[in-house]
Amino acid sequence: MNSLSILLQVNTSPSDWVLFFGHFHPLIVHLPIGFLIVAGILEAGRRMGKISVSDSAVTSVLFWSAVSATVACLFGYFLSLGGGYEQETLDSHMWQGIGVAVFAWIAWAVKSDYIGDRIPFGSALYLPALVVAIVLLGTAGHLGGSLTHGSDYLTQYTPEPFRTLAGIPPRQQEVAIKPITDVNQALVYEQIVNPILKTRCVQCHNAEKSKGDLRFDTAEMLKKGGENGPVFIAGKGTESELVKRCLLPEEDDHHMPPKGKTQLTEGQIALLTWWIDQGAPFDKKVSDLKVNDAIAPVLASLSSGAPVGSGSRVASSGPAPVSPVLTMKLPAPDPKAVEELKQTGLLVLPLSKEQHQLEVSAVNAKTFSDAQAALLPKLSQQIVWLKLGETAVTDATLAQVAKLKNLQKLHLEQTKVTDAGLKQLKGLPNLEYLNLYGTAITDAGLKELAELKSLKTVYLWQTNVTETALAELKKSLPNVEFVGGISEQAVAEFTKAGATEAQPDDPKKN
Amino acid sequence: MDIQDEIHDQLSRRTFLGQTSAGLGTIALASLLNPKHLFAGSSAPGETPGLGKPHFAPKVKRVIYLFQSGAPSQLELFDYKPRLESMWGKDLPESVRKGQRLTGMTAGQSHFPLAASRYKFAQYGPSRMWISELLPYTSRIVNDLTFIRSMHTEAINHDPAVTFFQTGSQQAGRPSFGSWISYGLGSDNQNLPAFVVLLSKGRDGDQPLYAKLWSNGFLPSIHQGVVFRSGPDPVYYLNNPPGIDKASRRRMLDYLAKMHQEQYKHVLDPEINNRMAQYEMAYRMQTSVPETLDISKEPDYIFDMYGPESRKPGTFAANCLLARKLIEKDVKFVQLYHQGWDQHGNLPNDIKIQTKSVDQPSAALILDLKQRGLLDDTLVIWGGEFGRTNYSQGKLTKDNYGRDHHPRCFTVWMAGAGIKKGMVYGETDEFGYNIAKDPVHVHDFQATVLHLLGMDHEKLTFKHQGRRYRLTDVHGKVVKPLLS
Repeated sequence: MNSLSILLQVNTSPSDWVLFFGHFHPLIVHLPIGFLIVAGILEAGRRMGKISVSDSAVTSVLFWSAVSATVACLFGYFLSLGGGYEQETLDSHMWQGIGVAVFAWIAWAVKSDYIGDRIPFGSALYLPALVVAIVLLGTAGHLGGSLTHGSDYLTQYTPEPFRTLAGIPPRQQEVAIKPITDVNQALVYEQIVNPILKTRCVQCHNAEKSKGDLRFDTAEMLKKGGENGPVFIAGKGTESELVKRCLLPEEDDHHMPPKGKTQLTEGQIALLTWWIDQGAPFDKKVSDLKVNDAIAPVLASLSSGAPVGSGSRVASSGPAPVSPVLTMKLPAPDPKAVEELKQTGLLVLPLSKEQHQLEVSAVNAKTFSDAQAALLPKLSQQIVWLKLGETAVTDATLAQVAKLKNLQKLHLEQTKVTDAGLKQLKGLPNLEYLNLYGTAITDAGLKELAELKSLKTVYLWQTNVTETALAELKKSLPNVEFVGGISEQAVAEFTKAGATEAQPDDPKKN
Repeated sequence: MDIQDEIHDQLSRRTFLGQTSAGLGTIALASLLNPKHLFAGSSAPGETPGLGKPHFAPKVKRVIYLFQSGAPSQLELFDYKPRLESMWGKDLPESVRKGQRLTGMTAGQSHFPLAASRYKFAQYGPSRMWISELLPYTSRIVNDLTFIRSMHTEAINHDPAVTFFQTGSQQAGRPSFGSWISYGLGSDNQNLPAFVVLLSKGRDGDQPLYAKLWSNGFLPSIHQGVVFRSGPDPVYYLNNPPGIDKASRRRMLDYLAKMHQEQYKHVLDPEINNRMAQYEMAYRMQTSVPETLDISKEPDYIFDMYGPESRKPGTFAANCLLARKLIEKDVKFVQLYHQGWDQHGNLPNDIKIQTKSVDQPSAALILDLKQRGLLDDTLVIWGGEFGRTNYSQGKLTKDNYGRDHHPRCFTVWMAGAGIKKGMVYGETDEFGYNIAKDPVHVHDFQATVLHLLGMDHEKLTFKHQGRRYRLTDVHGKVVKPLLS
């Protein structure tokens, strides 16, 4: 058999027809299982005198057992031509499967009216043949399961004390990933790349089941590649098969992981790409490699306690990590509090159909003022975006805003807020966006922002903030973008750009 | 069937529904209690019809679409092709064209002489994007832009192509992009429509634009785009006619609303609610429109930034400034159309005049949105309905040529929320004729913009004439590599 399968493998890849029928093997294979067990039950019941069935009924069931087992064998062989199964288990499974078919035929033959009489010792053969067929059915079925799901699938979750009784080693934790405390000291392959592969790829690419002749369970096998050659080209992330396959549309046949399986997050793909771009080293730390702006936030998100492999897929996530306040589960907002806020003219909208996070906007309530701001903390968990630009609010409102712990975006442009008010915002751990353009903020107020750890963008156009103070703050907050806007001089410079254009001939008048 | 019969049938059915008690009366009652069960997309009186909530958290809250009608030549602006210089004047090889269709305007040409851009290109920004010397301002903001050089469309003539971009179908009658967004997300600003259209003209004699491009199609009529014109009367028939004061207008509307409600009870036509909502919106717009469009308080240097034409109402520059003002007021979708790009002949001269009035305001708009903190959740789109051919239409001389319509590749740029900044996506072949890498179809583009707005393009549907319609028809894939 080995020689035959080798022969066929040499014959390049099997045709679509072969694989088409091959994929029916897992379906068809359940028919002989059912039929043979029914035959066994009928036979046993009859012999114990519990039921009365005619010979012809049992013979008929046996006939269909044999036919379906034969078809299952054939389709199973087709499926094996697709490759990717552990050879030894596959061989045993095949021979045992053939055994089922053969013994089912024997059991039928000796029982049959036409040929049964012509077989010597026919009646003596019957019972052993049936029993052997059923036993083989059990073992072949188990091996088939092992081929598809892995050999430890069946007993993976055996509880104690049966576990020790059966001699199964204690269950390994899902994937033992050394949690990353300092991402710069993390080993890139071991702590970042390998966990991703382990949780997303190894299920089908391991020692027992190596789809596409590819294994990701060890570094050596990963370097070796699969039947289509190496999976990565060191230094060329986006040209590497490993990354390309993940980026293909999910409907594409070559997309990995296959449709329906848990997909890699964009952050995980970015990490793999970056690792390959950096030459795919197996022993380097993050600090040994070049960290560019694009990958820095992804890497930063790793050390927040969540292991790399367990990143959840967020609908609109990208390489930039999505603020946790936008993805966390929140209790539904108190409808009364929402109604009260709406009464003031504020727009209160859920971020989406599936979220309780709220956006509150004063676009229709330019008269919104400090007196009404006391209503805001009633939704202190849910309000993540707050737009109070161009309203009558002052520093007093910011005392209420400071209670909105999950606030991610805050618009205060064109209001009367001052430095004193900004001081109160210190306790907003999730604030990323702060719009202060057109306010009387000065350098003193700006310094208060240094404690806002999540801050990403601050808008300071038309404020009293000076360039020197800004330069100072930029040093302590290198990750924050301060948008200063365009002064009159800058506009003059900008309009000069047009004058530097090349001057072709004057347009001819038509 | 005779049209007369058809009208008669409708009338009798309507009368039947409106007046029969007993059996049908209960259906009518049920639909009054929850009319959404009977009429898709309808709503209770006083409520804006539509869905109102995104499917998932949006990155983009508002869109400005700077539509360059007539199709700007990508080969003079964004898609640098040195090969056309070395093969200048030679025929477009058949191995490149592969018999693909041409318009009737050049199909009869015996030669297709390859024409290189008369304008020089240089690389800018970390994306090393090639930009033409015609766009000195755009090249300065390249770090904020995302270029898709591999857009392609199905239509080869202006009207179907613009209609395709704006409605997802080449035939007229489907709702416009902005109408879908208005329907899907509703309006934040209760005093302004969610979908506003601004029109400007470049060179005379260009392709016309039609109101169908901002039509609501079969969506409730409240979602149609409202054209804001330049000059003292931005929205037709909005101001009170002479002799009618505000109070009497209010009284008139209140009484009209009562009559409408009575009528709604009888015929249950959801369009009645839309009509009422529109009357009320128009009333509020009497104040909000002049307020929003007032540019008298803009400082001089802001006008300077948008360029000299920004003080002249009705120009592209002035409309860019207005677009910013509308976005500041949280209008969901501002659609600008700028005509004058259809340069079949005399392209080198015409495109220079055209870019001069478009380049600076486009770049200024990005900078202005940025300094106000608006670019954080606004998406700006810049592009035409298709591209232009790499061969000359008509005679090719050293300094004059023309280019015909080319749907197989062209460039669109976007700036703002949710997309990777300073990125170039897609490639064309060395002739600039076919796409070499990462094609983006019009439906993919639409799906991507809807995705950024928090909507799944496959779920944003409206049932009409027995089937559910989408902006992207049955196509479209979100272009994930573009997303940040």
